[in-house]
Amino acid sequence: MKPFIPKNPRFRKYREISAIYLKSQLAWRADAVFQMLFTVTKILFAYLLWGMVFSQRDTVSGFTLDGMLSYYIISSFLSQLELSDGVSGEVSERIRNGTFSKYMVLPVNIPGYFTAMEAGCVLFYLGFDLAAALIWIFIFRIRFVFTHSPLIILCALLMIILGLLFMVQLNYYLGLLTLKYEEIGTFLMIKSNLVALITGSIVPLALFPEAVLRGMKLLPFYYITYLPSMLLTGRCREEAVTGILILCLWCLALGGLIRITWKKYRVKYDGAGI
Amino acid sequence: MLAQHKKNIRVIKELIRLRFQKIMLFRLSFFGPFFVDGSLFAVQLLVFRAVYANVDRIGSWGRGEMILYIGSFSLLNAVSMVICFFGLNSIPYKIKNGDMDLYLTKPVSPLLRFTFEQVNPGSIPLILMSLCIIAYGAATAEHSIKTAQIAAYIFWLAVMEILYFEMEVIIRALTFFFVTDARLSQLEEAGIDLCMKLPGIAFYGIYKVIFYGLLPYGIMATLPVQSLVGEMSLPLACFGLLVLAVFTALTAVLWKTGIRHYNSASS
Repeated sequence: MKPFIPKNPRFRKYREISAIYLKSQLAWRADAVFQMLFTVTKILFAYLLWGMVFSQRDTVSGFTLDGMLSYYIISSFLSQLELSDGVSGEVSERIRNGTFSKYMVLPVNIPGYFTAMEAGCVLFYLGFDLAAALIWIFIFRIRFVFTHSPLIILCALLMIILGLLFMVQLNYYLGLLTLKYEEIGTFLMIKSNLVALITGSIVPLALFPEAVLRGMKLLPFYYITYLPSMLLTGRCREEAVTGILILCLWCLALGGLIRITWKKYRVKYDGAGI
Repeated sequence: MLAQHKKNIRVIKELIRLRFQKIMLFRLSFFGPFFVDGSLFAVQLLVFRAVYANVDRIGSWGRGEMILYIGSFSLLNAVSMVICFFGLNSIPYKIKNGDMDLYLTKPVSPLLRFTFEQVNPGSIPLILMSLCIIAYGAATAEHSIKTAQIAAYIFWLAVMEILYFEMEVIIRALTFFFVTDARLSQLEEAGIDLCMKLPGIAFYGIYKVIFYGLLPYGIMATLPVQSLVGEMSLPLACFGLLVLAVFTALTAVLWKTGIRHYNSASS
C-alpha cells in the first residue's frame, strides 16, 4: 500500500516536520517508556482515594467506582498526549537568547510548525499511552466503562484533536509573551498547576458546584480533557456538539490573538537576545 | 566537638550572607517558588473542597483532617524550599560536570555547604501560608486539640522534616553511581506528587509497604496529623522513629560511599 503523500506542497512540508519529530522521538524511547510507567501515580491516586470513598457508598455525583476509574484512565491518557507544555518554554527560551530566528527563516508558518511538531510527538506517544491505559485497566482490574455510540466517539475524537490544537496555540501564545515580558517561567509553572485542575485531570469537574461548572463551560479547558473523557464513558452526550463549536471558536479566537500579538511585538525581537 | 559546631555555624552564617548578596543581584524571580508552590497547594485545597462537597468522610478523615494534611505537607515542602532544596538540587549537576571537586577541597563538609548555600527566603511566605492552612484545618476538624497534641505534632513535623531532607539527599546522592539522575528525579516527583494528594491512611497492602517503608513520603504528613487528631498509637510512633533511624543510616552510608566513588569530572 502506498503511503499517503499530500499533493499540496504546503501540507507536504508540515507532514515532513511531523515525520522528523516522530523519528527524533525514537532516540528517547526509554523516556517514553518511563513516562508511560509513571502515569500509574494518577491511576493509583484514583484507585486508592475513590476505592476508600466508594467503600462507604455506591455513587458519587452520578459516578460508580468503575465509571470513576474509567474516567481517570481516559483523562490520564489524554493528559499524557498533551505534550505542548514544552512549546512555550522553547519559544520563550529562544526569544530570550536570540535564536528564535531559526524559526523565522523557515518557509513555514511558525504556529503551523509547532502544530506539526506536536502532531509528530503525539503520534509517537499514542501507542505507548494506549498500552499504558490497557495495562492499568488489567492490573487494577477495572470494569472499563466505554460508550458504544460511534457518533459520540467521533465527536470525542474531534474534540480531542481541537483540544490538542488549542493547547499548542495557547502555549505558543504564552511563549510569545516573552517579547513583552522578559521572564515568564514562573507564570508558566503556575499555569501548569491551574490547567491540571480546570481540565479535570485531578478530579472530575462534575464534583464542583453547578455555578462553577456553568462558568467553566464558557472556557476552553472544560472541553480539552474533561468533556471528551465524559463522552467516552457515556456521559454528557447532549454537550458534544456545543462543545465542538465552543472549542472551534476558542481556536479561531486564539489564532487571531496570536497573529495580532506577533504583528505588534515581532519588531521587539532583534535576534541578539534579551 | 564544640569547636567544630562553632565553625559549622560560622560557615552557615557566611553561606547565608553570600546567598543574600546573590539574591539582591537577581531579584526578578525572588518570589517565584512561593507563587508556584502556593498555587500547587491552593489547587489541592480546591480539589478536596470539591471532593468533600460530595462525600462526608474519606476513611476516618473529615474535611478538617484533610486540610491539616495539605497544610502539613505544604509546610514540610516550604521549610525544605527555604533552607536546602535549591542547594541539594544542584548536587547531580555538580557531580556530573566535576564541580564537586571545589566542594571536596574546602575545609567544610560538602553536604553542609550544599544544604545551606542556596537558602531561598522567597519561599518564607509559603511557610506562613502553610501555617494559615494548618490553623484553618485545626479550626475545621471535629477534634478538641490539647497542648500535648500540639507538642506531639511539632515533634513529628521536625522528625519528618529530617526524613524529607534525607530523601532529597539519598535521591541526589545516587548520581554518584549512575550516569543519569533523570529516572530518580521522576521517581521522587511521582512519589511526592502522589503523597501530597493522598494521605497515608489511604494506603494498604503493597502500597503501604512502598509508601511507608521504601519511599516513605506516605508517612511524612500523615504521622504529624495523626498525632494532632489523637490517632497516633505507640506501634505507629515506634515505626515512624524506626524509619527515620534507617533512612538516617542509609543517607550517611550512601553519601560517604558516594564521595569515595567520585572520580572528579569523569564521573
